[in-house]
Amino acid sequence: MLDGDEQAFRTLYRRHTPRLYQFALRVLAGREQDAEDVVQETWIRATEKLGQFRWESNLGTWLTGIALNLCRMLFRRQDEKWLEIREDLEPLIHEPQEHERIDLEDALTRLPSGYRTVLLLHDVEGFTHQQIGNQLEVSVNTSKSQLFHARRALRRMLTPLEVEKRGRAK
Amino acid sequence: MKSDERTELTPEERVEIESLPRERQPGRLLEERTLQSLRARGVLKQRNVMRVRIPWLAAGLAASVALFVSGVTVGQWVGSRTVVESMATAQQQTAMQAAAAVQRAGSAYVTALMAFAAVADSSSNGAFAQGREAALNALYAAAFELVQIDPTDPVAVTIREGLEQSRLEARQADNSAIQSVVWF
Repeated sequence: MLDGDEQAFRTLYRRHTPRLYQFALRVLAGREQDAEDVVQETWIRATEKLGQFRWESNLGTWLTGIALNLCRMLFRRQDEKWLEIREDLEPLIHEPQEHERIDLEDALTRLPSGYRTVLLLHDVEGFTHQQIGNQLEVSVNTSKSQLFHARRALRRMLTPLEVEKRGRAK
Repeated sequence: MKSDERTELTPEERVEIESLPRERQPGRLLEERTLQSLRARGVLKQRNVMRVRIPWLAAGLAASVALFVSGVTVGQWVGSRTVVESMATAQQQTAMQAAAAVQRAGSAYVTALMAFAAVADSSSNGAFAQGREAALNALYAAAFELVQIDPTDPVAVTIREGLEQSRLEARQADNSAIQSVVWF
């Protein structure tokens, strides 16, 4: 890849892209076109910055970091305060109707982008709060708060209303 | 997910999250799109010669045909030039060969005369006269051809005229002899 070998690049691309694409797709709430653009731009930036990559570390994690930065840029363009904890956002979360069944994947797409990103990084990708803070340029506490709110919102979406009502009745 | 206030995931929730697929294939065109961008930036260079596209293949075939036709044309031109040069060379070689033949014949002539001169004393008068006549005839023929080559050559002209005079006198002497014979 360093000497412009296309075949070597294809091998690397095919090994890492499916995971990279799935990550970007989840962070971007299932927007396929945006996710593909992020993946493409990730590879372009990765090849430009390859000299900075230390090969003893995980290439997949490094690529995920680049993709995450690109997603952040997209979110910022839409909302400068995308990572702030905003209690007023809670009612805006699109909760399912009484008899609507949604799975975890659907529920993730309905989370605010800040909540979703932190939850994905922590619970799905296995990042620590420190790593999330470094990646998103926020404090560890902000990361923890985002995760707390994300999990709470997710549980509300995934708990059937009738079960919830029964639980409250007890 | 029974309580809003829990901070940690339950084992069930953890299993559910871990069961999420970790990979998904993007659109098939993304790979080519990405490679095209990298090529345009000069990051990648295409090495796989098997991935020749049809327009390139057609262009390659057209170039091959053009190369073949131009090769034939140039070959014919070079061939005709070679024939002309070969003919000129052959003519030059013939002239040179002729000059060499003259030289070889002249050397043989002189050598033969020297051999003849060496044995002339011991030869009979008939053989001597025959040898001398042959030498003079050859010398005359040579002088005759030299005058044909260059009529203004005074040496060749003088030799031919001298030999003609000599032949004329010899013929007259022969006639006198014959007459003498007749007369005798």
